[in-house]
Amino acid sequence: MPANKELSAALDIEGSVPIHSVQLDAMVVLKIVKHCRESAPATVTGQLMGLDVNGVLEVTHSFPMPKNQESEDFEGSQYQLQMMRCLREVNVDDNSVGWYQSTNMGNFMNQSLIDHQFEFQQALSKSVLIIHDVARSSMGNLNFRALRLTPAFMKLYKDKKFTTEALAKAKLTFSNILEELPITIRNTALLNALLFELETSDNTVEVSTSHLTTYKNNNSNANKSVLTPSFDMLDLSLDPYVAKNLENLMDTIDDHQQEQGNYAYWQRSVERENKKKAAYLVNRKTENARRAQAGQTPLPNEDVDAMFKFPPEPSRLDHLLISGQIDNYCKQINEFAGPALGKLFAVGELQK
Amino acid sequence: MDNTSTLHLALPAVHTVASATAPVTTLAQPRAFSTSVNPLVFFSILDHYLRRNADQDRVIGTLLGVRSEDGAEVEIKGCYPVPHLESQDQVEVDMEYHRTMFDLHKQVNPKEVIVGWYATGADLNSYSALIHDFYQKEVSSFPAVHLTMDTALTNERLGVKTYISAPVGITSKADNCMFIPIPCDVKYFKAERAGLELLANNKKTENESTTLLSDMDNLEHAVIEVQNMLERVSEYVDSVLAGTVPANNTVGRYLMDTVSVVPKIDAGEFEKMFNSHLQDLLMVIYLANMTRTQLAVAKRLEKLL
Repeated sequence: MPANKELSAALDIEGSVPIHSVQLDAMVVLKIVKHCRESAPATVTGQLMGLDVNGVLEVTHSFPMPKNQESEDFEGSQYQLQMMRCLREVNVDDNSVGWYQSTNMGNFMNQSLIDHQFEFQQALSKSVLIIHDVARSSMGNLNFRALRLTPAFMKLYKDKKFTTEALAKAKLTFSNILEELPITIRNTALLNALLFELETSDNTVEVSTSHLTTYKNNNSNANKSVLTPSFDMLDLSLDPYVAKNLENLMDTIDDHQQEQGNYAYWQRSVERENKKKAAYLVNRKTENARRAQAGQTPLPNEDVDAMFKFPPEPSRLDHLLISGQIDNYCKQINEFAGPALGKLFAVGELQK
Repeated sequence: MDNTSTLHLALPAVHTVASATAPVTTLAQPRAFSTSVNPLVFFSILDHYLRRNADQDRVIGTLLGVRSEDGAEVEIKGCYPVPHLESQDQVEVDMEYHRTMFDLHKQVNPKEVIVGWYATGADLNSYSALIHDFYQKEVSSFPAVHLTMDTALTNERLGVKTYISAPVGITSKADNCMFIPIPCDVKYFKAERAGLELLANNKKTENESTTLLSDMDNLEHAVIEVQNMLERVSEYVDSVLAGTVPANNTVGRYLMDTVSVVPKIDAGEFEKMFNSHLQDLLMVIYLANMTRTQLAVAKRLEKLL
């Protein structure tokens, strides 16, 4: 990541309190929502800018990144620098604090995301990743999550050592790869004014279609008042969501199975080598015993380990990520099922 | 609007360029010009206004959006600020900046084009005309939209207005133009609405910040809301029945429509649907929990290794 000098210089000033929560500006929320929605179901990313003040990371601005950034890396960073320069000119906090990514049904645990976030946290230790789930947000409840890689994971990742032993030593499991930070959303005073305005709106110029109604008061305006309460949350069609979620879960479990297969294969081959080695050592011992009896010098001790090739342990990172993903899906299903049950019983009562 | 008569006379004049040469084209476009605005635009404008330089009393910027095929409908979807300088006798807009920003935006969102510009403050002055002329050139044959937002809160409103311009006078000069108000409404999508709602929820709180709600809390909110509405309606109906409030036929009709929407399902049928649904759901929850348990066990085992 192109962290220019001013950035790191600016970061030094800001004290060393670790961040414990994230505060998003209302505009940033809407910007992310818009960008993600427009390009859904493709995943898109963008930059977050802001400051951290006493452990609260204030995100005050964001801008989307062009989609094909993988193919032309240079273009991407060029774009980023130029954008930051432009934004600085209009007094935006030009301090990169992280990035955001859209996701669909929470399937964000993957290698590239981890890579990306690692690079970020390497360059800017206080950067954060905001995940926005388009599918869940459009069901009526805004879904944002702020995530960071844990220090333990960072350390392990730096060494690229993902053996079972290392993981056990670092006490790293799928549930502590990422830590989640609480999010608050801030409205400025002017923004509150705007929201009130929108709510009471006999908005700007009246829509020109003729009104058939004579009944009019502030709340039930014929041109749907901007903030009429929506009841998307009360939607009863649960099946598509659950089905999709289960489908994803199944795919991931398949992946998991495969990963386990790989691991088992490795274990078997290690065992085979071990057996061979043991056999060899026993052979050597009897041979030596025989030679000692015959008064001969024992055979020189060769480097036994070098004779047997132990296959390297496959990286357990994939396994970790997949487990994390499965856990994520399950949590999602649970989170979803609670309200769903509530709704179901509500309907049941209604029917009576 | 203040002068409605001019408004109606002037609206067809949007296409003056075409109508002067061939009046038929005006007939081919029966639709009145209208705009819809994504709430994000308002938010961005306000943010820009808050971040203005100390000596500046208004800010301007470029509006981006998409047009319908015949150009009569403009959807304003985004915007970016443009630095400018206003002094006693001249105005300076940073064209270079405007171009660069537009190029950058095009990389991310090629579909959005320049549709006009915004300014804060309620009044239109001669500088507005000049700037508008510049943007008119940017959008070529389509009318450029000008959006103003009264950030000074005159009349205690954040009056949002949109205009297009029509040339005034025989020879067209850059600073001669009439701003014609055009209709404007707010348009957003489901996900954005969820966001807006959340923001709107906390507008009455003092500390200006809110936390995200869980699904369950959100459901609770919705249910309470429905309850309140039902209460209000039943109160109204009761008072009509009691004769304290005169009956209103329109409201009555609305209520009738609403009541008739509730589907009538056979009790046995419903029971069956209800139960099967419930079982599905419980099964899914059970399985999900089971999987999680498995994972937790695996986690513990790994530690033992």
